[in-house]
Amino acid sequence: MFLTRSEYDRGVNTFSPEGRLFQVEYAIEAIKLGSTAIGIQTNEGVVLAVEKRVTSPLIEPSSIEKIMEVDTHIGCAMSGLIADSRTMIDRARVEAQNHWFTYNERMSVESITQAVSNLALQFGDDDADPGAMSRPFGVALLFAGIDPKGPQLFHMDPSGTFIQYDAKAIGSGSEGAQQALQDTYHKSMTLKEACKESLVILKQVMEEKLNATNVEMATVTPQRMFKMFSKEEIEGIIKDI
Amino acid sequence: MEGIMEQPFWANGPKPGSFYDFHAGHSSKTTTVMPVKHTQYPMVTGSSVIGIQFDGGVMIAADKLGSYGSLARYRNCSRILKVNNTTIMGAGGDYADFQFLRDIVEQRVIDEECLDDGFNYTPRSLFSWLTRVLYNRRSRFNPLWNTVLVGGLQDGEPFLGYVDKIGTAYQSPTAASGFGAYIALPMLREAYERNDKMSEDEAKTLLESCLRVLYYRDCRAWNKYDIAIVTHDGSRLEESKTLSTDWSTADMVSGYE
Amino acid sequence: MSLQMEQHEYGTPMQRYWSPYAMNGGTGLAVSGADFAIVASDSRLSEGFSIHSRDAPKTYQLTDTTVLSCAGFHGDILALTKYLEARLQMYEHEHNKKMSTSAIAAMLSTILYYKRFFPYYVYNIIGGIDDEGKGCIYSFDPVGSYERETYRAGGSAGSILQPLLDNQIGFKNQQGVVKTPLTLQKAVQLVKDVFISAAERDIYTGDSLVIRIITKDGVKTETFPLRRD
Repeated sequence: MFLTRSEYDRGVNTFSPEGRLFQVEYAIEAIKLGSTAIGIQTNEGVVLAVEKRVTSPLIEPSSIEKIMEVDTHIGCAMSGLIADSRTMIDRARVEAQNHWFTYNERMSVESITQAVSNLALQFGDDDADPGAMSRPFGVALLFAGIDPKGPQLFHMDPSGTFIQYDAKAIGSGSEGAQQALQDTYHKSMTLKEACKESLVILKQVMEEKLNATNVEMATVTPQRMFKMFSKEEIEGIIKDI
Repeated sequence: MEGIMEQPFWANGPKPGSFYDFHAGHSSKTTTVMPVKHTQYPMVTGSSVIGIQFDGGVMIAADKLGSYGSLARYRNCSRILKVNNTTIMGAGGDYADFQFLRDIVEQRVIDEECLDDGFNYTPRSLFSWLTRVLYNRRSRFNPLWNTVLVGGLQDGEPFLGYVDKIGTAYQSPTAASGFGAYIALPMLREAYERNDKMSEDEAKTLLESCLRVLYYRDCRAWNKYDIAIVTHDGSRLEESKTLSTDWSTADMVSGYE
Repeated sequence: MSLQMEQHEYGTPMQRYWSPYAMNGGTGLAVSGADFAIVASDSRLSEGFSIHSRDAPKTYQLTDTTVLSCAGFHGDILALTKYLEARLQMYEHEHNKKMSTSAIAAMLSTILYYKRFFPYYVYNIIGGIDDEGKGCIYSFDPVGSYERETYRAGGSAGSILQPLLDNQIGFKNQQGVVKTPLTLQKAVQLVKDVFISAAERDIYTGDSLVIRIITKDGVKTETFPLRRD
């Protein structure tokens, strides 16, 4: 009767007899097709670094954006179906501003992640909020920010599950990159070291040769908050590798 | 319940005895649906309600007059309600609104009884609910024109609460609404401050003397009254009684013949 | 028909009028120092020339470090404080932390402003400890305009007390005065003194005074009798 798992992968909210939601698992698989993104949390701040796949010389590289500002104190890196992330970033930005408007304080990184997770979980709901879709989002996010608890890094996947990490890699090269992070990460890492390390690891897992145009990088620090690195700044770090 | 639209006698047609009015040039459909009507003033009214806590219980009393303006229209209107074994309430103000509230409260008590889960409305929960109902109605500019006293035993302790038509609410060991706030409340407070552990009989005598003074001085008061009592033995709405009065001094008042 | 029934003796139709608001009086006062805040209010609840209750204090403890004082229409006060309590609980569940005094103040402002066209007729003053451990006071108007201050009196005797506080705490209109920082003891004594004075002049203030003293260790409550006439 149950010849293949495909018997149970039609409905997004139908469990298989083994207790799995295949559509959600497929969505998590979709992340592994995306370009690699890395986040490292240090005591001085958090760094986000992403690979940009410039598949044609005719592509304008700056039009590929995979790190975005959510609020002055929070950034977000993504991997997977980038188009899906627009809805989630929109929600994150609205939640952050709404929190600031109501409470006159910056929203914590965990709360932002929770708010976006609430949206990610609403796939297939009849009475879902605006923005929710009939299928799970095909994107994973890394939220990096500063809040009263200090520098924070959160990972969220299409199932809406979110977990705090010291360092996390997502996307096609995530397996190798995560292993590399485990080997090199230590609690007393400086932000500068983390920036350099993230590019070293990206370089290892990227198919193309790493340069200042095919990676994006941003930091969130208590002093300068969210800051995207310019091409020149990235070149400066690449030189040290 | 509310906002019942008056349906036209004959849709789009003239009232009986009137001529059909063709609206020249107006293509829009005309209806004679009346605007939503709200209680903006009370019709048949009850006057003061008074209540007091005593040692191991609470009692609430009110006379039985339903006034129609200055006319003493109905002389046997009960404004006191036994809610359940621990809770009583009494209301002044619009009598129809009180009946509306009474019907809801009685239905809720029946519904709660049907659940048979051992839970009953307590004085505090009923009071809290009533406060929200009256406040929400005033916030929709459609007040229930009542002042309500809720009394009973909450966890074995006496409870007496006051809430009015705009949602002003408080708890107090003595309470009186309307004219009673000026005439009965000082008497109640004086007695309570002298002895806050008065017996049931003392409390009843006190309420009766308050009602008597109200009957003498409040033109919207009456000598027939109800009294409800909650003690550890349960709650009861006593049989209506009539106040004894002495008008012998009336002959000595001159100038108003 | 109804108008005929309510016909007055002099022939003019009489219609009874009702207002969705009442003024139930009450005075609130908040004073802050380097590491403390005091929120005080009287306990009288009035309407017109009647006293509803002598034991209805208008201070509401919102968190371990924040106390709110409300004066105005008691029905709105009950609704507002109940709603605030719910919002505080929701915030705690959503964000896994207690609300700070400044966040409560900002939230209260938006709550009040959302009812801009049917306002809560409530004069709010918030006192508490801020994120740096300093005493802080926020005062509001009924539609949500607010600012941080070091002391503020509000409610029915607010306009009697404020100039007195300006002089005694703000050292206003004094010449050659040494501006010593306010101590907790002096502040408590001052609060008692000014409420005694307010109860003399304002019929809506009296019966008893409830003083909430907020420090980093929590909230302590003191009561003090006022004149009852």
